[in-house]
Amino acid sequence: MGALAIKNVTKRFGDTHILKGIDINIDSGQFLILVGPSGCGKSTLMNIIAGLEAPTSGEVQIGDRVVNDVAPKDRDIAMVFQSYALYPTMNVRQNIAFGMETRGVPRKEQDETIARVAKMLQIDHLLDRKPGQLSGGQRQRVAMGRALARNPTLFLFDEPLSNLDAKLRVEMRTEIKQLHHRLKTTIVYVTHDQIEAMTLGDRIAVMKDGVIQQFGSPEEIYERPANLFVAGFIGSPSMNFIDCHLAEQDGAVGVSLQSEGGARFVSLPDGQRFAGHLGQKVILGVRPEQIEVAEEDEPALLCKVHLTEPTGPDTMIFTQINGKEVIARVHPRAAGRPGDSMRLKLDLGKVVLFDPQSEARLG
Amino acid sequence: MDNQNKLWRIALYGVLLYAAVYYLLPLYVMVTTSVKSMDEIRAGNLIALPMSITFDAWSKAWSSACTGVDCGGLSGYFWNSVKMVIPAVLISTSLGAINGYVLSKWRFRGSELTFALILFGVFIPFQVVLLPMAQTLGWFGLARSVAGLIFVHVVFGIASTTLFFRNYYVGIPDELIKAARLDGAGFWRIFFKVVLPMSTPIVMVVLIWQFTQIWNDFLFGVVFSSGDSQPITVGLNNLANTSTSVKEYNVDMAAAIIAALPTIVVYVLAGKYFVRGLTAGAVKG
Repeated sequence: MGALAIKNVTKRFGDTHILKGIDINIDSGQFLILVGPSGCGKSTLMNIIAGLEAPTSGEVQIGDRVVNDVAPKDRDIAMVFQSYALYPTMNVRQNIAFGMETRGVPRKEQDETIARVAKMLQIDHLLDRKPGQLSGGQRQRVAMGRALARNPTLFLFDEPLSNLDAKLRVEMRTEIKQLHHRLKTTIVYVTHDQIEAMTLGDRIAVMKDGVIQQFGSPEEIYERPANLFVAGFIGSPSMNFIDCHLAEQDGAVGVSLQSEGGARFVSLPDGQRFAGHLGQKVILGVRPEQIEVAEEDEPALLCKVHLTEPTGPDTMIFTQINGKEVIARVHPRAAGRPGDSMRLKLDLGKVVLFDPQSEARLG
Repeated sequence: MDNQNKLWRIALYGVLLYAAVYYLLPLYVMVTTSVKSMDEIRAGNLIALPMSITFDAWSKAWSSACTGVDCGGLSGYFWNSVKMVIPAVLISTSLGAINGYVLSKWRFRGSELTFALILFGVFIPFQVVLLPMAQTLGWFGLARSVAGLIFVHVVFGIASTTLFFRNYYVGIPDELIKAARLDGAGFWRIFFKVVLPMSTPIVMVVLIWQFTQIWNDFLFGVVFSSGDSQPITVGLNNLANTSTSVKEYNVDMAAAIIAALPTIVVYVLAGKYFVRGLTAGAVKG
């Protein structure tokens, strides 16, 4: 069953187009991520789903009803805000109960819901405190508790983790994922953090300038990015973009790579699919982990190490190919020192090509 | 260096002490003169302590001093002021709170312009509106009544109370209102349950501000009231200007203190909120 359908939604303020025709369809129980840099329109889209803003045109469907003219409170949704938006003058219990009180839920049922939610989120001991007396992580839990008490068909999370410190953010991320596994409720989650997007989402919509650049599973987005923007936005460190010429050599389609230690023609697997672009400039997209240290007997490119960044499990090697700075993620024991030369090879099965003009992925 | 620091301190405290004495001296003279007898005032020195303390001047100022032809003291005027100031303060503060809430959290097309127009009220000199206002009060049948004075003070209070509340509410995060809307709360429920409970500091500021403004007002009082509806500021003026054979300085002083006492009391009781409220907007909510 469809849980949320957004059909050709646009939003305009005067001459400013915030959203330019958004289409999204997700199934019940899915975890949808809206991700993009600030100003891409993701928060506006979230507000339109919540009913806090009206779209200029298009249709929003939650469950099986069109909700364009339904008030936020009647959309059967609950929202967790970036600033948590806890009512500062009420204690935690009152914060969670406020919505139920407004809707006239009987007292006994309210108490049961509060007890259930508090237990689930381990905030039982905080019920009588005011938000000002809570830590960031606790406030986050209370904000989620308030949403859970509603038991909605759709949860909306608006950058819920961006006000937490790094360690807590990772913990809460895991908790949100566990919560989703347990409740199986549909979630729409706005973030600008691509790691949150990858770790949490079933479906990811990457947005920029009011347009969805790509909509798909995390694997699709990571391995087959639709364009240069998606490729550069998702993944850390970012994908390397190497300017090349697509050429044919001994019947194989490939590109020439020039490092400071040598040059080599590498043929692309299934290269004929790019035949239409022979002789043209292309951009070769290689993720850092797709550049590996070559074995003794393998053909390789001799690369000079400019800089290394050890992260613990991996070490980032900064080098140069075709005049562009390139980062390779290698095992710390295989990493050379700055000034050394290393024999590197590309994992050609996974590299992607982009058209430098349209910025779209080729093939 | 240390010695120089100490010198600075001494100089600083010296200046502060001088300023404090300078400003407190009139109050001191008023209080001491009001408890002296006329004989002592005539014989003695203005800043000398009273030789014997008597509250005759106070009781005369309150209940039997002449203000024009009546000789009933200030008590009647005092209660007029109370009857005027309490409703006027409460109504203008409530309306300002609602205006501020609407202009900051329920913006509509033209709300900024509305706010700008309301702000004009803060800068309009009151003398300009005396005549039209007198005409308006006449149409409403409120001329020369306490109700008419309340009306005038509410109308002129709204500009500044709206300004205070609007600027305070701008600092309340919009997400809070969104959250309450998703919780199903409407305009009034959000106002009374979410916004108003957060407003204590600014409510105190506005109450003190309005109380002081309205209690101390003389112009509207003298123009728009007469006889038994006049406020205390007018009463004090009449008392001090009524010529009898001798000028009773002690009665004048006592009357002046009676007229000023309520605003002093309000400031002392709620003054800590005043400073806190004025700075609260700057703190992240």
